[in-house]
Amino acid sequence: MPSELNNPQALAAAWMALALLASLISIRLGISVALTEILLGVFAGNAFHLQTNEWINFLAGFGSIVLTFLAGAEIEPGVLRRNLSRTMAIGMVAFVAPFLGAMTFALLAGWDAKAAQIAGLALSTTSVAVVYAVMVETGLNETELGKVILAACFVNDLGTVVLLGILFANYDLWLVLFLAVTIPALALYPKVARWFSDNMRGRVSEPEIKLLFLALLFLGGLAVAAGSEAVLPAYLLGMVAAGLLVRDRVMVQRLRAMAFGLLTPFFFIRAGTLILLSAVASSAGLIVLFLGVKLATKFISVHPLTQVFAFGRREGMYTTLLMSTGLTFGTISALFGLNHGIIDREQYTVLVTAVVLSAVVPTLIAQAFFQPQPAVAPLETLLEEVSPDV
Amino acid sequence: MFRKLLVGFDGSEGSWSALRAAFALSQGASGAEILAVSVEERLPRLPEVIDELSEEKDRQNALFEGLHKEARDAASAAGVNLKCTTVVGHAAQAIARLAKEGGFDLVVIGHSGHSGVWGMFLGSTADKVVRHAPCSVLVVR
Repeated sequence: MPSELNNPQALAAAWMALALLASLISIRLGISVALTEILLGVFAGNAFHLQTNEWINFLAGFGSIVLTFLAGAEIEPGVLRRNLSRTMAIGMVAFVAPFLGAMTFALLAGWDAKAAQIAGLALSTTSVAVVYAVMVETGLNETELGKVILAACFVNDLGTVVLLGILFANYDLWLVLFLAVTIPALALYPKVARWFSDNMRGRVSEPEIKLLFLALLFLGGLAVAAGSEAVLPAYLLGMVAAGLLVRDRVMVQRLRAMAFGLLTPFFFIRAGTLILLSAVASSAGLIVLFLGVKLATKFISVHPLTQVFAFGRREGMYTTLLMSTGLTFGTISALFGLNHGIIDREQYTVLVTAVVLSAVVPTLIAQAFFQPQPAVAPLETLLEEVSPDV
Repeated sequence: MFRKLLVGFDGSEGSWSALRAAFALSQGASGAEILAVSVEERLPRLPEVIDELSEEKDRQNALFEGLHKEARDAASAAGVNLKCTTVVGHAAQAIARLAKEGGFDLVVIGHSGHSGVWGMFLGSTADKVVRHAPCSVLVVR
């Protein structure tokens, strides 16, 4: 490349071209833009050695923070409260078993203890959004069973984010300061944000979004200073702000436009550029085994609980498989490990490839063999809902 | 004669032809009823956040609501009874399932809808409906 083109605008244009291409491909094929961005990142990183730099890393990191905030804000507190025992039990077990299983397997594969912990975290996750997408096709998302599954997924990811936040933290004064600021900030944020929403809504200068970004960056900065991860306060902030976002859909749309238009493409494309195709080939067996460990531990942990809580046979298997999916937090965990020198590029490649496969494989099996039939709305109901005037 | 007709309707020219054929068939049978079904099949899989999917679903809902209004206007003009519905899923699978669950005795479908390039490689929705529907299928060219 000519040296004259080695400037931020030209480099950003190359990344945006990939982001735009990912959008077009994902719309045409109906698959996730995140997955497409990762795959294009793999291509660009390996074929053209697409480089990152400090500001790209910042945009990517901020993308993961905003994405995590949006994920945290998806919880339905009412569902969690109504089904506390079921959701907590399924969610926590679905987190702990794969974490321990993948960590143990990584240790057996010769990874050091901290790298094994990263492996455990990356493969302990589930994906609320993927689970939701699959359930929409059956109408299961409208049922109480569907809502219990979603809330359990949320608890599962909360476990991953919290452990990622505390496992590698420095237990010093910075951690004390981080907790001393974060806890009251989480308590106060909904009140302050509501005041902004009531008094400043719709202003071109977007004070509500600036307040949110301030909170995310300030708490994230403190988390990093404490050796923790900025996504931890972001997820918790999302949880406490969930009620506010439900009533302010315009703000959510603007936030999402910024996140998906500018920030998350850098995160997912960067995550892809760091995957080494040579390592995918040389470690294919290890990748499959990691995936197998995740699926097996999710099965061992979640499936018995679905029977305890009287799910039907198909529903139990369906729930188990859906909770074996994962993409965003698995990628975030692996990237955290790489950024902090806990794992190397080859280990990162193994983990992120297994994470991507865990988003695809269980979904296909669930839909092909275990789709619950009764969840489909009766025909008469569909007609009444859609064409009331006929 | 056929009294319960199910029409695959995605707004393509082929699906409008299918709908018009269904109108013509029902005009010859008293008490015949037609259900036009639209299938939302391009919702994102593996989304990052729930809204990525729900907003696309809202967009497709709005699109099909507009098409259904046009279809009902056409039905009124033709003097036939038309109901419309939208479901999520794989088009052929959803049409075959609805045909079975609703006890339809004829599925009417356009020869080429929006499956386009994919249809050339993987077989069109019409091919698959013919193979899997539990009742007679009329493919309209």
